Amino acid sequence: MPAPTKSDHARARLLLFSVLIVATCGLIYELITATMASYLLGDSVTQFSLVIGVYLSAMGLGSWLSKYVTRRLHDRFIDVQLVIAVVGGCSAAAMFFGYGHLSSVRPLLFSILVVVGTMVGLEIPLLMRIMKDGQQLKDLVARVLAFDYIGSLLASLLFPLLLLPYLGLVRASFLFGTLNAGVALACARVFQGQLARPRLLLARALLVFVALASLLILGDRLERFAENDLYEDPVLISQKSAYQRLTITRFGEDMRLYINGNLQFSSVDEHRYHESLIHPAVADFGAPRRVLVLGGGDGLAARELLKHASIERVDLVDLDPAMTTLFREHTLLTPLSGGSLSDPRLTVHNADAMRWVEEHRARGGDPYDVIVIDLPDPNNLSLGKLYSRTFYRLVAGALAPGGTAVIQATSPYLAPRSYWCVVNTLEDAGLNPRPYHAHVPSFGDWGFVLASVDRRPPPRRVPEGVALRFLTDEVLASLFVFPADQERLDVEVNLLNNQILVHYYEEDFDAISPLRRRNG
Amino acid sequence: MHDFRVLELEDALGGTARGGELPRSRHPLGAHYLPRPEPRFHALERLLEDLGVIIGRDPAGRAEYAPSTIVAASVERHQLDRIWYAGISPEHGATPAEQAEAERWYAHLRALDREGPDGRRQFTLPSWRASAALRELDAISMRDYLQRLGVTSWRLRWEIDYACRDDYGCTLEQTSAYAALHHFLARGYDEDRPRPLLAWPDGNAELTRRMAARLGYIAAAPVDPHARVRTRAAVVSIDPDRGALRAVLRGEDPEDPGELVELSARAILWAAPRFVLPYVLTARGRDPLAGHRGPAMSYSPWLVASVELLDRPGGIGSPLAWDNVPVQRDNLGYVVATHGEDRSDTRPGAVVTYYEPLTAETPAVATRRAELLAGDLSRWSDHVVRQLAAMHPGIERQVTRVSVTRWGHAMIRPVPGLLFGDALARARAPIGVVRPCATDVTGLALFEQAFYSGVEAAEEALARLGRGAASMIP
Repeated sequence: MPAPTKSDHARARLLLFSVLIVATCGLIYELITATMASYLLGDSVTQFSLVIGVYLSAMGLGSWLSKYVTRRLHDRFIDVQLVIAVVGGCSAAAMFFGYGHLSSVRPLLFSILVVVGTMVGLEIPLLMRIMKDGQQLKDLVARVLAFDYIGSLLASLLFPLLLLPYLGLVRASFLFGTLNAGVALACARVFQGQLARPRLLLARALLVFVALASLLILGDRLERFAENDLYEDPVLISQKSAYQRLTITRFGEDMRLYINGNLQFSSVDEHRYHESLIHPAVADFGAPRRVLVLGGGDGLAARELLKHASIERVDLVDLDPAMTTLFREHTLLTPLSGGSLSDPRLTVHNADAMRWVEEHRARGGDPYDVIVIDLPDPNNLSLGKLYSRTFYRLVAGALAPGGTAVIQATSPYLAPRSYWCVVNTLEDAGLNPRPYHAHVPSFGDWGFVLASVDRRPPPRRVPEGVALRFLTDEVLASLFVFPADQERLDVEVNLLNNQILVHYYEEDFDAISPLRRRNG
Repeated sequence: MHDFRVLELEDALGGTARGGELPRSRHPLGAHYLPRPEPRFHALERLLEDLGVIIGRDPAGRAEYAPSTIVAASVERHQLDRIWYAGISPEHGATPAEQAEAERWYAHLRALDREGPDGRRQFTLPSWRASAALRELDAISMRDYLQRLGVTSWRLRWEIDYACRDDYGCTLEQTSAYAALHHFLARGYDEDRPRPLLAWPDGNAELTRRMAARLGYIAAAPVDPHARVRTRAAVVSIDPDRGALRAVLRGEDPEDPGELVELSARAILWAAPRFVLPYVLTARGRDPLAGHRGPAMSYSPWLVASVELLDRPGGIGSPLAWDNVPVQRDNLGYVVATHGEDRSDTRPGAVVTYYEPLTAETPAVATRRAELLAGDLSRWSDHVVRQLAAMHPGIERQVTRVSVTRWGHAMIRPVPGLLFGDALARARAPIGVVRPCATDVTGLALFEQAFYSGVEAAEEALARLGRGAASMIP
C-alpha cells in the first residue's frame, strides 16, 4: 500500500467536510418540510412525526439502494448532491407555490420528502465507500458517523435560532441548496481525475450553484410574496375548495378564519362586526319575518339574526358548500356560529349571489324584509359585480315594502373611495343609503350601509330582548356619525360594465399595505 | 293576430343570429350582442320585456335588465405591440398632437349629437327616421370625410376603421361617412359612461330562441306541417298579386325530396336577403330593383369561428375581456362565449369566437366571397388558429375544437350613396302583397334596424288587414 500523499489528506478532509455539510443539509430539509407541513396543514405533532418517519424510512431506502451503485462512485456522489441541492433547495418555495395552486399540497410535500430522504440515505454509504481506501473500517465508521451526528446537531441549533428567525423558510432552503451545490462543485474540481466526464459534471454543478445562489438573493422578494399565505397563529384547519382556500387558525381563545390568506374574522372581536352588521338593520325594519343573507357562510351573521324571535325564515346564499359545511359540522366551529346553520328556520343555498337573486325574482319568489349583504371585499371583477348598481337594483326589487338592506362596505378609513363608492352606487340604484361604521380591532374602522327604498332616519334604539355585547342605544347612535376627516367623497358609481370599485379598492389598499385586506 | 306562418329555409331559426354548441359552451355563429336600448326605443324595450331580458322597472320607471345579460367588466381590451390595454382606443404612446386630434374628434362627435332643423335627431335608429340634415354625408366615403376634417392620426383612423369593419364589414374607405358616424351617434353619444351591452353565451341566438318559443316553436319537436313556425321550408314561388305562395317542406332526412304546399296570404313579409326575392317572384319584371342604376346592394362576406380552449387566454397587460381586439390586423379579434359564467362555474377552459370580415372594394368583394366559400374548411380553421396564435403565442396547443362558419352574404355594405339613395327605397318598396323587410333593405346590418324594419312591415301588413294601430316606431 503506497503511503498517503498530501493531496490525499486534502481530499479526505474535503470528504469529511462534505459529510458535515451533507448531514446538516439533510436535517435542515427535514425540519423545513416538517415546519411547512405544520404551517400549511395544521396539527404540528402529527406533521412532525409523519415527516420524521417518512424521511428516515426514505433514508433507509437510499442506503439500501446504494448497493446497486457499483461504478463511478465519485460521479454518482456528485449527481446525488446536485439532486439534493435542486429538490431540497427549492422545497420550501415549491411548497408555498403548490399550496396556492394545488388542490392538496400533501402529495408534493411527501414527494419532496421521499426524494430528498432517499438521496441523503444514498450519500453516506457512497461517501464511506469513496473514503474507504487507506483507512481501517473502524476509523472510517467512527469519523464519518461522528461528523454526521455533529452535522445534525449543527442543523438542529441553526434552524430555530438563526435560520427561521433571520432567513425564513424559503431563503433557508435556498441557502442549504447552494451549500449542497457548493460541495458538488468542490468535489467535481478536486476529484477531476476520478470522474468519467469531469467537464460536464463541473458545468452542471456550476449551473446549479449559480441558479440557487441567485434564488437565494431573490429569496427575500419570494419570501415576502409567499408571506401572504402564512399565518401568525397555528393552523387548525386548512382546506382548499373549488373556489377558495379556507384556513382556520387558533391561538388560545382567538380563532380566525382566512379566505385565501385574508382575514375574515377573529373570534375575539367578531361580535362587534356582526352585531353592527345585523341589529341596526333589524331595528330599522322593526320585526322582520323573512331575511335573506348573501355571503356569510360562516353562520355568524345568521347567529345574530336568529336571536330575533320575529324571524321565521332565513335564506343564506353562499357560493362555497365547503364553507357552509365546515361551519355547520365542525365541532370546534359550531359553538362560534351558535349552530345557526343547522337551525330549522335557516336554509342554505350554495350559489352565486347575483344569479340566485335574479332567479329568485324570475321565479316570483317572496320578497324579504331584511337583506344582509356580507360578501368578501371587491378585490376582483367577479366580486365587484356584487357591488354594482345592477346588483343593488336587483336587491331593491327583492325587498318587501319598507324593507331594509345592509351592506358590508369595506373600511371608510382604510379604503375611503371604495366605501363611498358603495354608498354612491346604492343611491344611484334608487336606494336611500345611511352610512355607518364601527371599530372592529382586528380590521380597524369598518363600514356598513343601511339602504331602503324610502327615506328614513337611522334607527335610534337597539332591538329589545336580545343579548348584545357591543351595541347599546348610545353606541348605535354614534355609529352613524362620521368624523370630519372621513367626509363623504365624490366618487363614481360602480357599474357592472366598468367596475370602477375594483380599481378604487386596489388603489386604496395599495396605498396603505397589501396585507391589510379583508377579502376573499 | 294568430293567422300567420313563419317559413324558414334553414334547419334552424335565426339567420345570422344563430348559435352553435361545443362541449365546453354554446357560442354564436354570427350576431352576438345588442347595445342596451335607449328608453326612447319603446318598441324594442317592449320586445325585451316580452323576452324576459327586462325583468322589471325601478320606481323611476327605468327598465331593469336581467344582470346575467349585461356584459360585465372587463368589456373590451386591445392589443398593441404584444401588450393588451383596457378599452378599444389605442392611446398608449400617443403624442400630444395625436391626443389633441382625438379630443377634436370627440368634440366633433359631441357637436353632431343633436337634432336637425326638422326636429329629428341627426343620427338615430332606425336610420330612416333620422333628420335629413346630414344626409349628404352619405354621398362621400369616411376616408374623404376624415381627410376633410384633417384627421391624420393612425390611432383614430384605426379605431374608426375598426368600428366600420365591426359594424358593417367594410373599411373606412368603403363605408359612407354617414354610416360610419352613425356607429358613434345613433344611440346617442356618451363618452363618460360606457353603454352597457347585452350578450349571451351563444349571442343573439338566445333572443331568436326566446322569440321562437313565444310562437310555440320547439326546435327538437317532430315536423308538424301545420305548425305556425316551419323550418326546412323552401319558398319556391310567390305570386305577388294573388298572394299565392308555394313552398317545399322537407323533413329531417336530407334525402327527403319534400312536399310541395300552397299557401294563400293577404300579406307577405319577405325577411330573407333581398337578392333572393327575384328568383321566387312569378313576375320578375315586377321587381322595382330590376331596372335600377346606381350603387347596387352589395354584401360583405364574414369568417366566424368558435374555438374551444383548454385554458382561458391570458396575455401581457390588461386581463382577458369579453371582446379582445388586435390593433392593425385584418381580423377583429375574438369575444369570449364563456365570459358571463358566474363564480359558481369552476370548469376550466373557454370558448372564444373569432370574427373576420373579408373586406374589398365593391367588385372585388365577390372574389373574396368565392375564396371564402370555395376553400377547404380545415384551411380556414388553420387560418383562425394562426391568427389567434399571433395574439397569444402557443395558444395552438390549447385548442381542442374549432367550429367554422362562413357567411357569404353576412352584412349589407353601406357604401357611399346606398343608405339614402334610390336602391334601398326600391328594395323596400312593396311588390303587390310582398313587403321586403330584412336587415339588408335598411342598409345597416344592425339588430335595431332589422327590428324596426320588421315592425314597420308588420304594421303595414296589419293596416292592410284593417287592423292598423298607432306606430311603435320612434
